[in-house]
Amino acid sequence: MDELDKAILRQVQSKLPIDAHPYARVGQKLGLSEEAVIERLERMKKSGVVRRIGGNFVSTRLGFASTLCAAAVPEDKFEAFVAAVNAHPGVTHNYRRAHEFNVWFTFIAESMEEIEANLQRLRQQTGVKDILSLPSQKMFKIKVDFPV
Amino acid sequence: MSIDQTDKRIIKRLQGDLPLVPRPFAAVARELGIQEQEVIDRVADLAASGVMRRFGATLRHQQSGFAANVMVAWRVPPADIDRVGQALAAYRQVSHCYHRQADPRFPYNLYSMVHGKSRDECRQVVADMAAEVGIDDYELLFSEQELKKTSMSYF
Repeated sequence: MDELDKAILRQVQSKLPIDAHPYARVGQKLGLSEEAVIERLERMKKSGVVRRIGGNFVSTRLGFASTLCAAAVPEDKFEAFVAAVNAHPGVTHNYRRAHEFNVWFTFIAESMEEIEANLQRLRQQTGVKDILSLPSQKMFKIKVDFPV
Repeated sequence: MSIDQTDKRIIKRLQGDLPLVPRPFAAVARELGIQEQEVIDRVADLAASGVMRRFGATLRHQQSGFAANVMVAWRVPPADIDRVGQALAAYRQVSHCYHRQADPRFPYNLYSMVHGKSRDECRQVVADMAAEVGIDDYELLFSEQELKKTSMSYF
């Protein structure tokens, strides 16, 4: 990545212009052609710096419920538990963390009842009893741009 | 704003990866059988109303210089939640900060994601935060492995 690549990322991280020619608009700001912006973004996608280009939506505004779950999973059950959790399309993020509660995942579904029912099924299916649901009460910050 | 069936089809398309072409909304419009300008207008409405919270390129942060992150779970007296939540949110190293319903087995009610170049840098930032907000009951939950990371598929 060179300085121009970084300048492009700063422009397109969360405010890609909603315009017929978004990359031409970005190029205008940076003194680059539309083709040059597209070409550089293509390269950054291939190298893996850019994961995808699209929208992120607020689940509750679309009528969905979401929560953060924490599970205390013994080592011998770890692999099977992670496979069972990740099989759910509503689980979008899942991390192993250094704590007794070692598996942390987000769960989105059409209702909190549906999430609870799925967690109950996971407990039965995997034998992991300690799965907590920690729903959000108030959001103070959600920032998705990273300094580049 | 209320979401109609056309919005849902657009959201379904936008939650995926858009083609990297000069006119991406024209490409989406062709796929969905609607006009380019209608797609642009509806996407602009979704952004303006806050239903779509961001639109653009998602980066892999491991590759953009922020190698370490830690989730910090704080135990905050209910009366102090707003004060502490706002103070933590003001840190540029904090990407997410939420008040969450605590569980007796894990009685922490405020969660912040802290990013840094190394674990030591994260620890230092968290120590500064703790001193500023006057809360010393907290847990550091360093991520050891990404087990899944994807975008939600709505509709």
